[in-house]
Amino acid sequence: MKSFSKKALLQLALLLTATLLLASGCAKKPAATTTAIPETTVSEDMGQDMIQTEGLDEMDLSETAIDESASEYGVTTAAVSALQNISFEFDQYTLSAEAQDLLVSNAAYMQANPELKIRIEGYCDERGSDEYNLALGQRRALAAKSFMVSLGTDPQLLSVISYGEELPLDPTSSEEAYALNRRAEFKAER
Amino acid sequence: MRLLALLSLVFLLLTAPAAADIEISAPGQQTIPLASTKLLAQGMVPAQIVNDFDQTLNDDLLLSGLFSLVEPNSFLSDARRIGLNSSKVDFGQWRLLGAEGVIKGVCRLEKGKLVVEVRLFDVTHRRLLTGRRYVGAQTDVRRMAHRFADQILKSLTGEEGPFNSRIAYISNTSGHKELYLIDVDGRNGVRLTNHRSIVLNPDFSPTSKELLFTSYRAGNPDLYRKAIYSGQEARVSARPGLNIAGRFRPDGREIALTLSKEGNSDLHLLGTDGSHHRQVTKHWSIDVDPSWSPAGDKLAFVSDRQGNPQIFIFDIFTKQVKRLPTAGKYNATPAWSPKGDRIAFSRLEKGRFDIFTVAVDGSDERRLTFGPGNNEHPRWSPDGRFIVYSSDQSGAKAIYIMRADGSGVTRISPAGGDCNHPAWSGRW
Repeated sequence: MKSFSKKALLQLALLLTATLLLASGCAKKPAATTTAIPETTVSEDMGQDMIQTEGLDEMDLSETAIDESASEYGVTTAAVSALQNISFEFDQYTLSAEAQDLLVSNAAYMQANPELKIRIEGYCDERGSDEYNLALGQRRALAAKSFMVSLGTDPQLLSVISYGEELPLDPTSSEEAYALNRRAEFKAER
Repeated sequence: MRLLALLSLVFLLLTAPAAADIEISAPGQQTIPLASTKLLAQGMVPAQIVNDFDQTLNDDLLLSGLFSLVEPNSFLSDARRIGLNSSKVDFGQWRLLGAEGVIKGVCRLEKGKLVVEVRLFDVTHRRLLTGRRYVGAQTDVRRMAHRFADQILKSLTGEEGPFNSRIAYISNTSGHKELYLIDVDGRNGVRLTNHRSIVLNPDFSPTSKELLFTSYRAGNPDLYRKAIYSGQEARVSARPGLNIAGRFRPDGREIALTLSKEGNSDLHLLGTDGSHHRQVTKHWSIDVDPSWSPAGDKLAFVSDRQGNPQIFIFDIFTKQVKRLPTAGKYNATPAWSPKGDRIAFSRLEKGRFDIFTVAVDGSDERRLTFGPGNNEHPRWSPDGRFIVYSSDQSGAKAIYIMRADGSGVTRISPAGGDCNHPAWSGRW
């Protein structure tokens, strides 16, 4: 196995942190308090229209702070996931030579683990329109999928989804963050 | 006389072709001085009700850009006298203050219901211009004020105002992106979804009683519709891949959206039950973000078929696609104006989005925002006088409205979280 660059480790750390965050967020049961807003009626005797409003429910949400250092520690020990993210240029979905190398290794990993089903997730940086980026993320995921299929991976084992610019690994606005966020991720499906 | 002249000027500006020097919806330079007196209580009425009505109405009138308000401290005795017909109003007093219109009203409680009677008088001609009586719950007082503001605009310009409508948007203030609804002045906010996932891109049905949106709730970006009053929610389209940017056709019978079921992102038309009607675009490019012309015969959309994202117009009947000829390398999120004459959009330039409008033939481009930050997702008010959009000009993304000429920028979303993807309802 080739050694990880610092950047790849950082990506991985952020990814796992994000996954942990998501997982812990999902596990919480909603503490629901429901307040009905009373029905009201306005009539207007020179116009014809009526207003009726009723029953919009609000739910309480709980939020949990996660200690970053703790999960980072967890990452460094748990580290070696063999499926690696690939990155893209701005507004592009073509696969760089580096990305292709990573996909070759991802395909090899899948061959070694034939029971594995993978979801390829396409992501974009925050620049550009949200809807366009959803389509762009879809293309990035599809580009990765077709390349892996061309390497012999069974298409039935690969699903794709786009999150557009919705879930950045690094939410700041910098070239470094953008580069980190333009990516396709590979996740084992349960 | 002057009021009449100004009114006809306003009317001309509102109806004149876009070539006029002054913007359609913001005469700005020549405002009509109005005296807006507070409602006079008949019997016991909480002061809060009177103040809420006054504040809401005056905020709306100022936001319209058509009026200036005469300083209430200068009001004379007539402001405290109930006089709801023109023979009882002392117009001389109002003329002295330079007011060309005066708003007078009363309020009272009848069997727990709030009754508001309010009128607009023409000071110059000593006559009633419009009057309304509203009966409702005490909590409806702001809604009554919005409706009277709309009524004032209608009686003076021929076109009803947009204040009795709502704005839907997405906010992550709960920790997840959820759908919210607020009044045009930012009040009465409510959260409509609790998907605890990612909710995106709402659009109102033509009746304003339903919303379309995309949600990842079931693990895929699927299209949902939600009835606002009953809260009833249904998944409309859950085809593999993208089911995004759903837009009701103006007749309410179809939905345009982007699907990627075949792998590539194309525009499709669905029935409101989610049945597939037809594929609109079939091109290797990304086609997203449809916006209907008000007649429902054309769709503006974004495509990268010529390299970069640009705006194109698809004719539903001839099936022809043509580029909306605009400058810039990256143009997105088109929104067709309710009158059909212009398209608002956002352009990415030097890493930032700003909002522009352009005539449907690509001529007469006008830039409405000049930073700072990103200004995106423009959508028109139902009367075309205003544009709602999202901006991160003061840090976190928030929802703003401005007049259609870019003036009168007002933040309407509450603090906390990032807010974007606004949509403006029809009149409520």
